[in-house]
Amino acid sequence: MGLLGFGGVLPWARRVMVDERRWLSDRDFAELIGLCQVLPGPNVVNLSIIFGARTHGPLGALIAITALLFMPVGLMLLIATVYASVAQDPLTRNAIAGASAAAAGLILGTALRLVLQTRPPLRGLLTGAAAFVGIGVLQWPLLWVIPVLIVVAVAAERHATPRQ
Amino acid sequence: MTDTLHVLTEIAMRFAALSLVAIGGINAILPEIHRVVVDLEGWMTSAQFADLFALANLAPGPNAMIVALVGWKVAGVTGALVATIAACGPSSVACYIAWHFADRLRQSPWRMIVQRALAPIAIGLILASGYTVARGADRSPGAFALTLIATATLAWTRVNPVWVLLGAGLVGLSGFA
Repeated sequence: MGLLGFGGVLPWARRVMVDERRWLSDRDFAELIGLCQVLPGPNVVNLSIIFGARTHGPLGALIAITALLFMPVGLMLLIATVYASVAQDPLTRNAIAGASAAAAGLILGTALRLVLQTRPPLRGLLTGAAAFVGIGVLQWPLLWVIPVLIVVAVAAERHATPRQ
Repeated sequence: MTDTLHVLTEIAMRFAALSLVAIGGINAILPEIHRVVVDLEGWMTSAQFADLFALANLAPGPNAMIVALVGWKVAGVTGALVATIAACGPSSVACYIAWHFADRLRQSPWRMIVQRALAPIAIGLILASGYTVARGADRSPGAFALTLIATATLAWTRVNPVWVLLGAGLVGLSGFA
């Protein structure tokens, strides 16, 4: 599955695990993804760990992550080697410059799409903007900014959530 | 040799620490990786970083492959392996532990609170990543235009990102970017 994931593995993972093999129901999958998104680390890697652990314990988790990561790493190194040998060619340089510019747009577009989809409340817009300015514009160290932001965001969210 | 060893240790320690704050995935820690490898260590230029990012998106595999590429650029194949293991290891262990408490987490009201609080931060970090890559890639009005077009395409259509990248590469051939 690792090799199939052009433009990210998540859509493929869903298709194989839910539609083709029926290892998980749609609801199970959504719930697993929700959990993976709260946890740090690459979502798909986390997904494979939980899934591997659920079916075959620690060994399953280890096998799942190895298969997911090491095949693409091998292929990536092959591509990188080819890239290194053609990187000085002016035509290739032009093409890569175009692709890099678009790649930046891909992430910006993803972020924009998420904002439009989730429509965060004002407190969310503020913490999100703080993360963008602190990390992206001011380039403060992530290891400082994130813990502070998390504490502030959770406190604000707790305050806004009615107590049961 | 001691130099390579020093670099590998540096990669391992930096990426392992970042692994645990990568909320919302690898994209969240791209700006920090950029800050370390471009600004602090000077291992590559901002433009080279943007190139590697494009390459990671063009190739199949998880988005996390950018980490392997940075490791490769800095210290070869060993660098790629060390970077990948460092960036995925600690978060994977955390995930494995969290999974064991998954049932209890599901009941807890804190879970929703934390999830709702973290989501906007994750989006802000993704935006910061895009800005970081754009700073490296957009050295001409043409490149800037390509970034804008790609942004709009991703935000408002369902076109596969790979086609956007290939299309931009073709446009770039003419020296547009």
